[in-house]
Amino acid sequence: MSETAVAELPFLNLSDPSFSIRSQAVREARDQSWCARTPYGLAVLRYEEVGKLLRDPRLRQGSYAWPAHNQATGRFAEWWLAMLLNRIGEDHARLRRLANPAFSPKLIGALKPKFEALAHELIDGFAKRGTCDFMAEFSEPYATRVICILLELDQSEWRNLADIAGEMGLALGVTYKQDVARVNAATDRLYNYVQRVIAERRKRPPADDFVSLLLQANENKDTLSDQELDDMVVLAVFGGIDTTRNQLGLALGMFIDNPAQWQLLAEQPELARPAVEEVMRTRPTTTWVTRETMEDITVNDLPIKKGTTLHLFAESAGTDPAVFTPGFDISVKRMPHFGFGGGTHHCLGHFIARGDMTEALRILAQRIRNPRYDGAATWLPDSGNTGAVKLPIIFDPEPT
Amino acid sequence: MKICVDLVRCQLHGQCAIAAPKLFSFGEDGKLQWVEQVDESARREAEEAADVCPEQAITIED
Ligand code: HEM
Ligand code: HEM
Ligand code: SF4
Repeated sequence: MSETAVAELPFLNLSDPSFSIRSQAVREARDQSWCARTPYGLAVLRYEEVGKLLRDPRLRQGSYAWPAHNQATGRFAEWWLAMLLNRIGEDHARLRRLANPAFSPKLIGALKPKFEALAHELIDGFAKRGTCDFMAEFSEPYATRVICILLELDQSEWRNLADIAGEMGLALGVTYKQDVARVNAATDRLYNYVQRVIAERRKRPPADDFVSLLLQANENKDTLSDQELDDMVVLAVFGGIDTTRNQLGLALGMFIDNPAQWQLLAEQPELARPAVEEVMRTRPTTTWVTRETMEDITVNDLPIKKGTTLHLFAESAGTDPAVFTPGFDISVKRMPHFGFGGGTHHCLGHFIARGDMTEALRILAQRIRNPRYDGAATWLPDSGNTGAVKLPIIFDPEPT
Repeated sequence: MKICVDLVRCQLHGQCAIAAPKLFSFGEDGKLQWVEQVDESARREAEEAADVCPEQAITIED
């Protein structure tokens, strides 16, 4: 077989601040090839190859080098290297096995009524007004308070936690270098907070909530060390808040653009679960995940050198015309998407995220009728981890 | 008891092989392999695998 030359591949300039994962350039590149060059490694564009490479044991998660790439040091960089996402092989498997019971679908079922009550409480705050900033008044408090529910934290802590997660999130942005002191200070605050919670929880009788289940694994320090326990709780806070916040904002945006689908969801609330999947397929907050080759590999005749960064484009794979008929339709059965990644690092929090977003969308569609944009929304760049910053909407007010 | 995997739903994430390495593994050909008939002593491990599967493709029949 003849080898494909890298130089023949289309080029996508991911470094351009105006680069968009949904641009015509990406669509054309995907028509031309399964793979594109970027200023840093390769981008994988089609469903089949993204799926295969997510599960390929010759690749490792690619974000571990991110702080070093920014010449950043300190508390965040230390945590980043130690936490689950950046562990590999048997070490990753051990931590994942220990964390699994705390993320079990059985646990989530019991939380559903609490998610439902929370959604109603937040909507009560603006339903009669007929306007709101969806991010500030719904998706941010909802995503953060769901984590409070999961960790059994005081609900009044939510603002504090949301701010910490937001500041730590600067580490994933292109301005990490300038923000490194703020990022580390926020990481310190989160560790102090988590350690206080854990110390308090140790005094309680054993139960089967999230923190208690992790504490049980920690009874034998060789199984899960104190440090690893702290890292895991920090990951649940950091990994669970901004993702859910952003994904819910993107969901509402999709439905504003497709009003007949919102109407359909209001009429058939049982479609809330598939609606979550359809949103994450077409408008995932994690637009791509990063991998790095641990050896020389060949994919579809293309030789790829060891140490190459691969950006696996979840959005572009999720809208690949070879697999999906065009359009946004919550009533159609689709192939699985990659919005939660896949393979060994498949999102650990997906049962929680799917559970809380299903409740949120179901109740929102019931109560927020005819939503439209109210002036301009502001969005993060349409790349990396994306979402709305501000999403002002108007809708039919609930009768008083 | 018997472990069943719905191979239409299975997306080969391999989370079952992480949770229960004695029962699930990948063959040379990349296909999922699992122990079908297990005795009571493996119940906890089998249930753990069924629990974590992101596609909920694993069921246990008594
Ligand atoms: C809509 C919400 C969410 C989205 C879109 C999302 C997305 C993702 C993605 C794409 C990955 C894989 C990253 C990669 O392979 O490079 C991941 C991993 C992870 N997520 Fe989520 N996530 C969400 C919610 C949550 C929640 C609520 C939690 C915890 C409470 C959580 C905890 C984790 C953890 C611990 C990992 C690392 C797993 C590992 O490395 O084995 N996520 N998430
Ligand atoms: C020239 C090289 C690169 C460019 C232009 C680039 C660009 C970007 C952009 C635009 C984002 C989204 C930022 C945001 O959320 O505001 C991002 C996120 C991210 N990048 Fe890069 N990146 C580069 C190299 C790398 C490298 C070398 C790594 C790690 C080895 C990396 C790891 C990440 C991670 C972990 C995120 C967070 C979101 C995710 O996991 O998908 N990037 N990158
Ligand atoms: S965890 Fe589920 S989807 Fe993944 S390989 Fe096992 S059975 Fe298949």
